[in-house]
Amino acid sequence: MAEKLIIKAFGMVAEEIGQSEIWLDSVSDTQELLAILKERYPGLEGMKFSLAVDKELVSENQKIDGAREVALLPPFSGG
Amino acid sequence: MDKVRTPKNIFVQGAISPEKIASSIANHSTKTEIGGHSIFLGQVRADQKEKGEVVAIEYTAYEEMALQKAFEIREAVFAKYPLTCMHIYHSLGEVKVGELCLFVFTSSKHRKAAIEACSELVERIKAELPVWGKEILDSEEHVWKKNR
Repeated sequence: MAEKLIIKAFGMVAEEIGQSEIWLDSVSDTQELLAILKERYPGLEGMKFSLAVDKELVSENQKIDGAREVALLPPFSGG
Repeated sequence: MDKVRTPKNIFVQGAISPEKIASSIANHSTKTEIGGHSIFLGQVRADQKEKGEVVAIEYTAYEEMALQKAFEIREAVFAKYPLTCMHIYHSLGEVKVGELCLFVFTSSKHRKAAIEACSELVERIKAELPVWGKEILDSEEHVWKKNR
């Protein structure tokens, strides 16, 4: 059986979806994940954020088979 | 023999106290090969926003990723400059206007390495660490901080 995937949301993305963690059934790649999230949370459509799969930033569509967590990261504003 | 470095916790809960900075400086008096220190202190500014004035910033982070990234930055800067010491502290949680939220401290034999490394660290910390600041306004509204 496929492992569940944890989606961690931060900053204004967490605020938009109203929670900081979502569990999903396994998703094949980041493109599919984005489609699922945007359907469930339409407010994400116009937002700017990057994805990190198991703590590595991704720039293009990436397989997430076997990954444990995907993070939704709005633009960083530390310091 | 080269020292093997491992990820360190850079996060402190709430503001960074001036006393912590003073004692951190004092701790270096025994390292007599040091000839220069460079320090950057980030302070929360009372910006005027559309819906009110900033009274505090509440910081959150993707901590595991931020610590891994901070470690990579630290290693890269150590490799690039001849530094004796490097310390990085960043606040999490609430930091009020006028309080300190970032402390970067580098030391080297001669000033240039410490100054340049400190400046590079600050830029990389702001651009690359998954940390977010929520600016709390006096109207009880908030806006998400944007880095320039």
